[in-house]
Amino acid sequence: MRVMKSFKILTVVALAILGLTACSNDDDTTPLIEPRSEQVVNLHAPQTLDVTQNPPVASGDFVKFDFSTGATTTSETDWDIAFRGTTILVNGGASSGIAEEPERTGNAGAYMVDNTFANVTSATATSVVQDSSTGLAITTGSGNGWYNYNPELNSIQPIAGKVIVFRTADNKFAKVEILSYYKDSPTTITPDIVANDSRYYTFNYVYQPNENVTTF
Amino acid sequence: MFIFAANILLFRMITNKIYFLFFLFFTLKSVVAQQEKELAKVEVLEEVIISATRTIRQLSSLPLPAQIIAKKEIKAINSIRLSDILNEQTGLITVPDFGGGEGIQLQGLDSQYTLILIDGVPLVGRSAGTLDLNRVSVGNIKQIEIIKGASSSLYGNEALGGVINIITEDPKDGINGNANYRGGSFATHDISTNLNYKKNKFGINAFVNRFSSDGYDLVDTDAVNTVEPFSNYTLTSKIAYNFNDKTKLLVSGRFYHQKQDNVANATLKGKSELNEWNTLAKLDHTFNEKWSGYLEFYATQYNAEEFLNDEIGNSFFTSDFNQNFMRPEFRTTYQLNEKNAFIAGIGLTHERLKRTDFLGTPVFNSPYIYAQYDGNLTEKINIILGARFDDHNEYQSQFSPKGAIRYKLNDKIAIKSSVGYGFKTPDFRQLYFDFTNATVGYTILGYNAVKTRIPQLDADGQLLSVIVPVNAFDVNLKPERSTGYNFGIDVNSFSNLKLSLNIFRNDIENLIDTRVIARKTNGQNVFSYYNVNEVYTQGLEFNAHYKFNENVTISGGYQLLYAKDKQAESDFENRRVFARITPNSPSFRLKKDDYFGLYNRSRHMANFKIFYTIPKWNLDTNLRTTYRSKFGLFDTNGNSYLDQYDEFVNGYTICDFTVNKTIYKQYQIGFGIDNIFNFKDPQNISNIAGRIIYGTFNFNF
Repeated sequence: MRVMKSFKILTVVALAILGLTACSNDDDTTPLIEPRSEQVVNLHAPQTLDVTQNPPVASGDFVKFDFSTGATTTSETDWDIAFRGTTILVNGGASSGIAEEPERTGNAGAYMVDNTFANVTSATATSVVQDSSTGLAITTGSGNGWYNYNPELNSIQPIAGKVIVFRTADNKFAKVEILSYYKDSPTTITPDIVANDSRYYTFNYVYQPNENVTTF
Repeated sequence: MFIFAANILLFRMITNKIYFLFFLFFTLKSVVAQQEKELAKVEVLEEVIISATRTIRQLSSLPLPAQIIAKKEIKAINSIRLSDILNEQTGLITVPDFGGGEGIQLQGLDSQYTLILIDGVPLVGRSAGTLDLNRVSVGNIKQIEIIKGASSSLYGNEALGGVINIITEDPKDGINGNANYRGGSFATHDISTNLNYKKNKFGINAFVNRFSSDGYDLVDTDAVNTVEPFSNYTLTSKIAYNFNDKTKLLVSGRFYHQKQDNVANATLKGKSELNEWNTLAKLDHTFNEKWSGYLEFYATQYNAEEFLNDEIGNSFFTSDFNQNFMRPEFRTTYQLNEKNAFIAGIGLTHERLKRTDFLGTPVFNSPYIYAQYDGNLTEKINIILGARFDDHNEYQSQFSPKGAIRYKLNDKIAIKSSVGYGFKTPDFRQLYFDFTNATVGYTILGYNAVKTRIPQLDADGQLLSVIVPVNAFDVNLKPERSTGYNFGIDVNSFSNLKLSLNIFRNDIENLIDTRVIARKTNGQNVFSYYNVNEVYTQGLEFNAHYKFNENVTISGGYQLLYAKDKQAESDFENRRVFARITPNSPSFRLKKDDYFGLYNRSRHMANFKIFYTIPKWNLDTNLRTTYRSKFGLFDTNGNSYLDQYDEFVNGYTICDFTVNKTIYKQYQIGFGIDNIFNFKDPQNISNIAGRIIYGTFNFNF
């Protein structure tokens, strides 16, 4: 009996070693690129509000961002997400109807999870939603999406533990944690900062550049 | 009815011509000459309270948690506004509302859930939910009665957390009066006079007060003062006529007028103005030893106007708030025997509001009926059982029962326990608001305005999408409801030491909050109200009163409070809440114990007072201390909840000192310092101005 058991274990170990070797051979042929972890600081997403009209109308160009380059872009097609004020669009789905939206040409989408940034270790493709005429993938309004609005200070505060998982325009995945809406991420928001230094996004992101890989 | 009308007329006249008062004064003086001066009888009675049962009731035997603040205490601390005196009571604190005004927090419930009455009838004018206690002068108050715990079984709407009833002086036998002045820091002047006349069947009194201040500024860097300069007048009068021993008529009126600068920033300036009228006519009749009847008619109007003009004088903003409230009520009491008493009442509340940014001029009509039994089952057991039914033209009707029992263990110890329902119907704002913010562009719609306004906004092309379908508003918004539990022990172990402990819990459901109901093309949202939250407040209150000797009295009080949102509690329990300490640090998951509770609630509040009389010098002094532990005003770490990692407002202690000296019996001079150590927290506490040094002068005639 004893001999039998030892033999079994030996076989399993041998097979495992064989299997691992086989895997590493595959890796050699198409190496995976390491996910890229970065912080974007002070991405300015201005918005003009015409208060002479009642109700006021928000306008201005959306600032587009491309995860593959990690930078903003003016490209009409090569972008993943776009910012204007507190609104975030994805390059996928249909027009939501707000003024001066860029045309969506890609397959981007998004969803939000409640977790710490580090603990979001993979993306769930089936959870992804896209912008549409009934609403944005990243829902707007205080407490509905990524921020809370403080009416006393008139300020925007990113909700802790909200991680946005994006599918990019070309079907890669990225996770984002928005840290601040104010220039240089001040610890205390004052009326002065609200008046002069708002709409500056600082966020962490991890970009998974490999196609069909959902882990971060 | 003629007297009633004359009374109103009298008020209008006084507003216009202050010298009418002097006329009245000299008339009274000449009457004095013609007759012997009757001194007001000094009666030594056990403290009685009328708000708890709506009958005259001994405070010490009441099965409900209640408290009386006597005129003596109001005078002793030289209090001028209602907020001053309430702030020093155990478990009560006035908190500034960011919409303006200073409201009361009672058993951890917001000011909108405490009913404020003057002589048994409600004050109105809660433009943003808060009733500003600075509106009420205390110069003519006999006593203030505070009932804690839900009391809708007698009072209906708004009595979720409790009731504060301000009892003003009735005309007393004789002819007398007083003149009072208090002046102090921030150019604050308070001048008032009370005039009283009563002979045989007829009695009249009047109270006139002017209160003004330059206000104060806690933050120097902006163009706005924390409190802008203001001045206000209060005029009240009561006319009593006893037809005979059995039938009495009382007519009273109150007028309040305030003007204040209104400053938004360096360029936008204007004024705000308040006008308030209250009139009450009451006919009492005793049918026989057992039956009495009371017929009451109350009407009040509250009007607030404000405007802002730009630098060149063009109108930038105007707003107008005009509320009318009317209530006829009939009540009857039936004293079966010494041990069993009944009270029942029937009435109608009619309310109307005209306001800027409102859809139409809404009207509320609410007929109601109530009954209560108060009986001593045995020598040791007293019970109160009561219920009230309120019908409403806008909401489902409300049934609010209440039960209370007091059991006397022995001569020294009694235990009492009560359970009651309270409710607050959604106010006009939550139903008919139709407001679009001029600078940001969001819209707030009252619940009942949604069905009309959403299709209109949609037709105007202002909506992108509707998130909550309009037919979700077919069902009426529900009144907010509470169940209040109180359990207390009174101990009078020694004749000069009184101890009382009360444990309370209030469960509130259907709390009204706002949510997004539609998205707008300008990137903003349309908000409306809905029933969502369930919160509770619980804790204990402890009071000790020790009469050291004839001249020294010491008292202390403490409240422990937990005020929490049930949903938030379960979110923490299920570990769905995160926090981030600085904008650049990673989020982390919070634990159940990290949830602190509702905003602006302190876990601990305490007070300690020493009253010391030096008879030899005709001197009364006192030293009072109030303490409030840390509290949070808003979330600072990105999760919308108040947790232990948030920045808190530090706890603080305020000490006040007063000395009053009587000269020749008729004159009194006083000196005091409120907030001796000049505590201020400009960023967080706008209603604490800092140290106030003042002097007073009183003259009785």
